[in-house]
Amino acid sequence: MLQFDAGILSNRTIAPDWKELILRWNPGAGRPEPGHFLTLRPGRGSDPLLRRPFAVASCEAGQGEGPSVSIIYQIRGPGTRLLADLLPGAMIDVLGPLGKPFPMPAMGESPILAAGGVGLGPVLYLARRLEEIRATAGAATVPGAAQATNVGAGLAPAPFVIGFRSADLVPDLPFPPGLVLCTDDGSAGFHGTPVDWMAHNAPSGAARIYACGPSPMLAAIARLASGRGWKASLSAEQWMACGVGACMGCVLPRPAAVGGASQGFLRACADGPVFELGDIDWEKA
Amino acid sequence: MKPDLTVRIGPLVLPNPVGTASGTFGYGSEYEELMDVDALGAIYTKAVTPEPRPGNPVPRIVETPSGMLNSIGLANPGIEAFVRDKLPELRKRRCAVIINVAGSSEADYLEVIERIEEAAGPWEAAAAGATGTVNGGRYVGAGRSGVDGYEINVSCPNVAHGGLTFGTDPAQVERLTAALRGATKRALIVKLTPNVADIGAIAKAAEAGGADAVSCINTLVGMVIDVRRKRPFLARGTGGLSGPAVRPVGVACTFKAARTVSIPVIGLGGIMCAEDALQYLLAGAVAVQVGTGTFVDPRIPLGTLRGIEAWMEAEGVASVKDIPGLLSTQA
Repeated sequence: MLQFDAGILSNRTIAPDWKELILRWNPGAGRPEPGHFLTLRPGRGSDPLLRRPFAVASCEAGQGEGPSVSIIYQIRGPGTRLLADLLPGAMIDVLGPLGKPFPMPAMGESPILAAGGVGLGPVLYLARRLEEIRATAGAATVPGAAQATNVGAGLAPAPFVIGFRSADLVPDLPFPPGLVLCTDDGSAGFHGTPVDWMAHNAPSGAARIYACGPSPMLAAIARLASGRGWKASLSAEQWMACGVGACMGCVLPRPAAVGGASQGFLRACADGPVFELGDIDWEKA
Repeated sequence: MKPDLTVRIGPLVLPNPVGTASGTFGYGSEYEELMDVDALGAIYTKAVTPEPRPGNPVPRIVETPSGMLNSIGLANPGIEAFVRDKLPELRKRRCAVIINVAGSSEADYLEVIERIEEAAGPWEAAAAGATGTVNGGRYVGAGRSGVDGYEINVSCPNVAHGGLTFGTDPAQVERLTAALRGATKRALIVKLTPNVADIGAIAKAAEAGGADAVSCINTLVGMVIDVRRKRPFLARGTGGLSGPAVRPVGVACTFKAARTVSIPVIGLGGIMCAEDALQYLLAGAVAVQVGTGTFVDPRIPLGTLRGIEAWMEAEGVASVKDIPGLLSTQA
């Protein structure tokens, strides 16, 4: 974790109201893994005030100039509107990497990746990482390869299921193999949501779902995974103030204990944002 | 000549006037990787209550114009877990550590302070040999006991007295302060709520009860309504407003309190830089706390300290204690 001023390398529109921001990463902060997030201070003034959390969507080693990191964001409010106006060459206050990343799939687990909305960012990063491991399995240079024994060479790419309202909203990004496009209106790919697709097409064996998206989507995935006996690593989205575990503002409810007693909350920023299926009451998150 | 940044709060001498506000800084370790926590004058911990509190339902926070609302609900692990898990960590600190205390009755506040006194040992024993130098400033405190003082959050509803907030009634503030004064020789600071007609009267009550200092201000009650869903944005309806939006209120309250009592006043509310902190010091505060500003940029607390020092050097002010006397109120 490090706070630093980063140069913006690119800030391009990838879909209506969606942008991809690429910034120069300070190697001293450590390499962000899929599931990690960072916070950005969108302006220098006091309105909007708070830093904004964004999941890391890629981390490239870079040539000479050092590594770069990207985020994918939707222009939704005053903070993201300020971000959207930043031009390459501008500097931005960055803090990261923060949170706990996705665990790698264990032996015998078939990974299925699913994303909704700007939850696309962290899952895309994970999909790229798993594909990298699959394509170069056995190479000791790939981080995480030793643990990822079930995504090795010769196996099919993990299904990477993304959902949009219609085909014209699909962002202009290089997607790894394994992509399954779902549209609510059936204008492209599978007609339905990623959860519908998984319910009908997921492999019958042991699976681990990796997902990020709006809370109703995560709740639906949690129900599906529980019913099928799958594991799930779900990355939650929540309003945050500090991002480092101090303010207790971004909590999510834990499931009630036997007898219905509350077991309190977990912090999305420091205990997550990636949680296992049983960690959170996803229906109330 | 290097300005004297030390500040006396009752028996305690803080190495410098800049601390981090309760509820915004956890127990200090959360920010360890991002700043030199021990270079601060003091950290004010998250509130400690007798029982563990999970806190309020979500959403708990929402951004407002130049500020934010929070309704965390004093989420904390309770006094026993505090003594077991947090106190050993706090004993390693080299800055002053002030424990923020909250409760629903006088007995709750007493229970927390008595338990901490038992675990940390009496002030006299702890203070012996605990004089040192922090960041060039002299520190006289309780050192390795992990506890230099208490900040009393009186913005809680008093369940035993019909749920009225302790801090809005001078008689209750005086009684509570006197009871706690009897339980500790450590620095005792009463944190005032701005949600009253006359903050001076409350400050006076704290002084009469034996407080070593008052800090002001706690958050202002506020509400944001989600018009699309036709309901309050926060799960609890209202929350506490903080950030630059409340700064003029905090400065005015500090000005009022400092002219009403002779004990030190610690100012907080919306401090984002040295100039903001200097407003509080000129208004009559001897020390300040940075709260929401740390969320925005963790470099703000120590940047504020450096800026105060640079301003003093430029203005030829020898001691931070001299700053309140510099304010001119003539038209």
